Amino acid sequence: MKLFKLILLCFFLIYHVKADTIYDLIKIPNLEIYNIKTENKLRYLYAKRPFTIGIDNNIKCYKSSKRDLDQKYRIIKNNLNRYPKNFLKKINLKYIVLCEDLSISGVNTAGIPDNKLKTLILDIKFDEKYFERVIHHEVFHIINDSFKNIFNEKTWSSFNPVNFNYAKCSTCTKKLGLDTNSKPKGFITEYSESTASEDMAEVFSHLMHGSLPLKIDPILQKKIEFIKFNILKIDKNFIL
Amino acid sequence: MIEKIKASTSEKIIFTFVLILGLFSITSFFLLKDKCLFIKNYDPQKINFKNPNNIAILNVGCGNVIIELYPQISPNGVERFKTLIKSKAYDDVAFHRVIKGKLVQAGDLEFGKKGNINYTKIGTGQSGLGTIKSEIDKEFNYSKGSVGLARSLKYNTEDSQFFIILQDEPLYEGEYTPIGRVIYGIEVLNKIKYLDKSEYVLRPDFINSLKMFK
Repeated sequence: MKLFKLILLCFFLIYHVKADTIYDLIKIPNLEIYNIKTENKLRYLYAKRPFTIGIDNNIKCYKSSKRDLDQKYRIIKNNLNRYPKNFLKKINLKYIVLCEDLSISGVNTAGIPDNKLKTLILDIKFDEKYFERVIHHEVFHIINDSFKNIFNEKTWSSFNPVNFNYAKCSTCTKKLGLDTNSKPKGFITEYSESTASEDMAEVFSHLMHGSLPLKIDPILQKKIEFIKFNILKIDKNFIL
Repeated sequence: MIEKIKASTSEKIIFTFVLILGLFSITSFFLLKDKCLFIKNYDPQKINFKNPNNIAILNVGCGNVIIELYPQISPNGVERFKTLIKSKAYDDVAFHRVIKGKLVQAGDLEFGKKGNINYTKIGTGQSGLGTIKSEIDKEFNYSKGSVGLARSLKYNTEDSQFFIILQDEPLYEGEYTPIGRVIYGIEVLNKIKYLDKSEYVLRPDFINSLKMFK
């Protein structure tokens, strides 16, 4: 115990307050600026060291090699450049954090949005097959969190078959498949069946990515119209 | 009969050395004690300003800090700052948050006044004039010496607290309402008291006065 106290005392004596502007702004440690001179004013940051955040430090992400960062940054930037500055301001998105092996409570995830801190954390090593599309999926969560009243879940759920119920949460189900259904029956992917918010994000991401299935059933058609109609309420000039 | 003994050469050298050492020590003591040594104190009366109506003079322990205000960038922020300056609200208010080489922050009119400091609440005080909206849409380069209005984690919570940055902070653009920039005397701010182990300063330095030039 004495040794512990001694170590604690030594730590206190050698500790100096360090200024960390990025931490002050978005409450994520160990980040550095990757690029902040962008047209739509998005600020790209990267993990210079692994970081843990969240309740009980349940969110973890690791640093990436410069080569991977450079390669994925180009892809991410090209996709996020489709969101104009004014739109990003309205939805409250400003900081993009690039890191790899992102997980929440041990479950790997493509991204973690936080519209209060205007931040989207992206796993640059997420499955290549879905990588570009999930960028838009995560952006939708920011949109949805900022405009819960517009993207009403009850209205959305009313489009579904009468006996269908979503799971209690997106990780409370085994329906995690991200492949686009070629013959959808109201749901564009298996993951769409998890929650209303994930369902909306899947439809939105397919619209943004331009990868809608060739055959669209009436339920999915209603959902597509719902997203298109409501996104214009946020910004009438937004191009889907 | 007492015989006069002459000092040897080596004794003279030692005596001279001790004398010089003594003088050096005394001089150093007084020089080091003066933290404002080598800090230039600018006299605003000797400077020609392009916009004298937008010049504020912040007087602190080591001299004057001359700030040019930018009402064209943040009209409401500058108006609030000027209102408080004209009512002498900032006089005797603490620099309660100081990070060496990064920023100094002052302006807690409620809990940061000299003689009435509340260390448990400092940084949370209000002016009584209410909060104002953030003005962050216009482009502004947050370079060293920039002056901005502090706020809580939420936008539109600016009131009386302001900060001056001592290094470039490009990420502050679009985050904090800029109200001006230090044009003379930034070095004075490097002498504001800070603590190594905390951003918040115990027994802080105070603003002597904050006045408009005209």
